Amino acid sequence: MFDIFNVYLPIAEMQFNALILVAIGFSVGVLGGFFGVGGAWVVTPALNIFGFPMAYAIGTDLAHIFGKSIVATAKHRKMGNVDMKLGLMSIVGSVIGVEIGAQNVMWLTRLGIAGPVVRYLYMFLLFGLGIYMLYDYITKDKRAAAQAAKVAAAARAGMAVPVRKSWNLPPMIHFPASGITISFWTVSAVFLFTGWLSGLLGVGGGFIRMPALIYLIGCPTAIAVGTDLFSVLFSGAYGCFTYGIKGRVEIIAAVLMLVGAAIGAQVGVTAVKYIRGYGIRLLFAIMIILAGSSVALKQFNMTTTAAWVVMCAALGMCVVIMIKLWNGFQKEKAEKAAMAMKGGA
Amino acid sequence: MKRLWVLIFNLILLTVPSALVWAAAEKAELLEKKVDVTKLSGLNYFFASWYNDNMWLYAIIVTVLMGVIGLIIALVTDIILKMIGMEVHKIEHHE
Repeated sequence: MFDIFNVYLPIAEMQFNALILVAIGFSVGVLGGFFGVGGAWVVTPALNIFGFPMAYAIGTDLAHIFGKSIVATAKHRKMGNVDMKLGLMSIVGSVIGVEIGAQNVMWLTRLGIAGPVVRYLYMFLLFGLGIYMLYDYITKDKRAAAQAAKVAAAARAGMAVPVRKSWNLPPMIHFPASGITISFWTVSAVFLFTGWLSGLLGVGGGFIRMPALIYLIGCPTAIAVGTDLFSVLFSGAYGCFTYGIKGRVEIIAAVLMLVGAAIGAQVGVTAVKYIRGYGIRLLFAIMIILAGSSVALKQFNMTTTAAWVVMCAALGMCVVIMIKLWNGFQKEKAEKAAMAMKGGA
Repeated sequence: MKRLWVLIFNLILLTVPSALVWAAAEKAELLEKKVDVTKLSGLNYFFASWYNDNMWLYAIIVTVLMGVIGLIIALVTDIILKMIGMEVHKIEHHE
């Protein structure tokens, strides 16, 4: 029935269903726009399930990520969610970090332990980050109450609230978009570290950088999402070009995925407007725990099940984001109508 | 004296990354392949020919095309979303 959507992919020299490519692009576009990640960890296994030739999977994925990031970053910028200064610093730090990480992988390969070390580290990171973010979400009210009590106690005693200790080695840099002033060295160390992790794990690193921007740099969640996408744009462009030179980009497939992803990214970015920072963090935590489960299944040689888990998780999360967007939109519309009524009266 | 210590510490920290980077990343290998263009026509023929003849130009075409399509779709969907009342402006950041 769906054969009518088959298209010929000239570089891979095979027929492939265009609907599947657009659908994968759309779901990863929604996730990318909403969480600020590239989404290669969803696309590659999804393409694998449907029999897309693996020789072109990563290159085609990176090509569409580049196009999609342009759409998502432009929209996030309009919403004031991109800190350009921080984004540019992240690119420099990440490039150096990735090179160090890649060098470490080669050293681990020479020792013959690269495979297990990378897989276990990947799992530890996904589960660790996910569980920490869940814990952070669950305890947020308790922490807010404790902070309020501290402020009240300080006010009663006529003293200033003790300032949280931080490393203030000059030069200090101010990031007006994020509203933070932080040591150059702290920012550099964070991006070097996240770059090192992505080089070591062989991933784009969006899912590591986004929480790092929130928890280590102190960015508001929406700005972390937008700024991370700004960095993904550059890594996607570089990846697209370098994989293109090596003949590993199937151009027609990339265009079809981009059509879906660009529309999906618009949906994902718009949803950020309706969901508070902690809501984004909660959904992100659930998503990366499910991605971690998929990596764990792969560890037990259940590759197909692992791919289905990550794909179903991505689709499920897309549905949740779209429902949240729709509810938020309806609420906003109702509020606007009520305001207009009040104004008219 | 404090300024001097800060300067020295900054210089030490600056040398850390450059000392750590001593080799290039593991890169994907070149795919040695020629596409059969005899049965192709139109866009497929155009892309496959460039793929066979000049991989650098093919990479440039792919990168530029992705950027242009991304921009066009961004513009079009923005107009559509505005029409249905889903336009976006600068938002306040609530945690």
